[in-house]
Amino acid sequence: MKNLTAAAPAPVPAGRPPVRPGLGDRLKVLIRYPETGITAVAIVIAIVFEALNNAFLSSEVPVLLASTAQYGLIAVGEAMLMITGEIDLSAAKIYSTTPFFAFYLSAAGVPWPAAVPLALVGAAGIGWVNGFITVRLGVPSLIATLGMLFLLNGAILTVSHSQPARTPESFINVLLGSDQQNAGTGISQIAAFLWLVAIALAFAVVLRRTRFGLHTIAVGSNLLAARELGIRTQRTKILNFVLMAVLAGFAGIIEACASGSIDPSAGDNTLTLYAIASAVIGGTSLFGGSGTVIGALIGAFVVASLNDGLPLVGAQAGFADVPLGIAIVVAMILNIKLTALRVRQV
Amino acid sequence: MSSGNGAAPGPPPGSGVVPALGDAALLLRAEGVTKNYGPSIVLRGLDLQIARGEVLALVGDNGAGKSTFIKILSGFHAPTSGTLYWEGRATVLTSPTQARALGIETVYQDLALVNDLTVAQNMFLGREPIKRVLGVLPLTDAKAMRLRTREFLDQVGIRLASVDSLVRDLSGGQRQSIAVARAMQSQPKLLIMDEPLAALGVREGAHVLDLVQEIRRRREVSIILIVHNYSQIFQVCDRINFLFAGEIVLDVATSAITEEELIRMVKAGLGAQAAARPAGSGS
Repeated sequence: MKNLTAAAPAPVPAGRPPVRPGLGDRLKVLIRYPETGITAVAIVIAIVFEALNNAFLSSEVPVLLASTAQYGLIAVGEAMLMITGEIDLSAAKIYSTTPFFAFYLSAAGVPWPAAVPLALVGAAGIGWVNGFITVRLGVPSLIATLGMLFLLNGAILTVSHSQPARTPESFINVLLGSDQQNAGTGISQIAAFLWLVAIALAFAVVLRRTRFGLHTIAVGSNLLAARELGIRTQRTKILNFVLMAVLAGFAGIIEACASGSIDPSAGDNTLTLYAIASAVIGGTSLFGGSGTVIGALIGAFVVASLNDGLPLVGAQAGFADVPLGIAIVVAMILNIKLTALRVRQV
Repeated sequence: MSSGNGAAPGPPPGSGVVPALGDAALLLRAEGVTKNYGPSIVLRGLDLQIARGEVLALVGDNGAGKSTFIKILSGFHAPTSGTLYWEGRATVLTSPTQARALGIETVYQDLALVNDLTVAQNMFLGREPIKRVLGVLPLTDAKAMRLRTREFLDQVGIRLASVDSLVRDLSGGQRQSIAVARAMQSQPKLLIMDEPLAALGVREGAHVLDLVQEIRRRREVSIILIVHNYSQIFQVCDRINFLFAGEIVLDVATSAITEEELIRMVKAGLGAQAAARPAGSGS
């Protein structure tokens, strides 16, 4: 094809002369970013809560960030998985099961610093099973992971006799949010959030700048096309199930280290739903193909703010679910409308 | 092959060269290719050949087996029986990736474009260039993808505001052009186009035909074109193969037949007639 140049129509001059963009143009550019809406919402919420309760940002930040980390780590995995067009309802149960894997390994003599990564391998195994059943056996992920949810719940309650266990002490726990050996420094309180930020940034790069990430988008956006282009679609989806499970398991380990106990009832199913809500209001489409990891992180902050912040400004406990419910639906409507608006602009 | 003389590709207009059908000139030969899906027989011993630089129209009704044959050539499906000879060697295509590695590119009817990725990302989808950041992290080389996409689109005369546009935001003709350009950028030996003009308006279709004409003029790439519009066939193709019920029943050079004759034959129930007489005998 090199020789085509000679006979092809004259090359079109690339681009137009640079024009300084006006405010309107800049706003239009912002619309292109799916994180824009949720960032604005997060800022408004922080301002309103701070106005209503002066102590909100100063005193509640560590609690808020810890909750954000819990939702966010799972939300990052759900966002990736939802971009492939799948979903994992068993995340909260992987979250509660993984620390038990580590605990039993530790009880069997494996040092805790080795038991933790081995437990994450176990979580990966659960994710692989979810992915295999969905992709290879053709069971919708909603059903496959619903089955896994109940299976894990029943298994862990039975094995643990519904009794919590004490998290083994180790130097690595400090890195994972424990304040056992680090009282008063404050770092332990935001360790989980720092993990979330680092992981979300890494996944944002993975999604946009690696083959795996682009294939993840391709698989969710146009599965047939991805197949026609020789992308290993099944492997891509299964790997996303695995990553989802590892992130959920890691969130569970962090919670076990931070709280000092491994609780079989820690992974309430609303945790999964909050994580999915975080991803959706953060700009990830349930239709597959489009989504953002950073949006999921900010979405988790918004969900945590509503949950933790509303009671502080005088709302009844539980009321937070009202605005959250509305936010989920509004976010989805905005996603659809903004996509249509963007198409009209071009 | 059910063909006689008509198997030889017609002389390329203006070139004065008649490609011989010796092994060296032949790019691809399919011999006795059959394909069954369970009890249903889609291809029943299909014979077809294409010379280097030749443009072959594959025509036939819906359900005649065109798409199945193309999927076999693209490495998607294995034939039930029969042999493909690629550059003279018997070849088993096991995957789309292998077919692409051999130099077989396919532009599918659905274009295989991903709406949620940019033009540049689509151009390299499945074979993204990688650069190692800090010597280890294998990231896609976005800059190189953009640059090479821009260069290549300029070369083939495709005009776009930005290679960073999402494919979702492009028109039908632009999408078709991107799909063709993507197939051409790896300098394939055989380009298969499945109804490239079906969803396009007249002007957009004409542009894509210009693109095919240009590729043909260079005689570097063979093309199998699935197309329904006969006048488009006569504009850009050297030879026509008519597929009927899983077999090639007519193999004729476009120079040996007129459009009117072809239409008349099709209307007169070509399948039955052609099976009963040497195909390729022209009108």
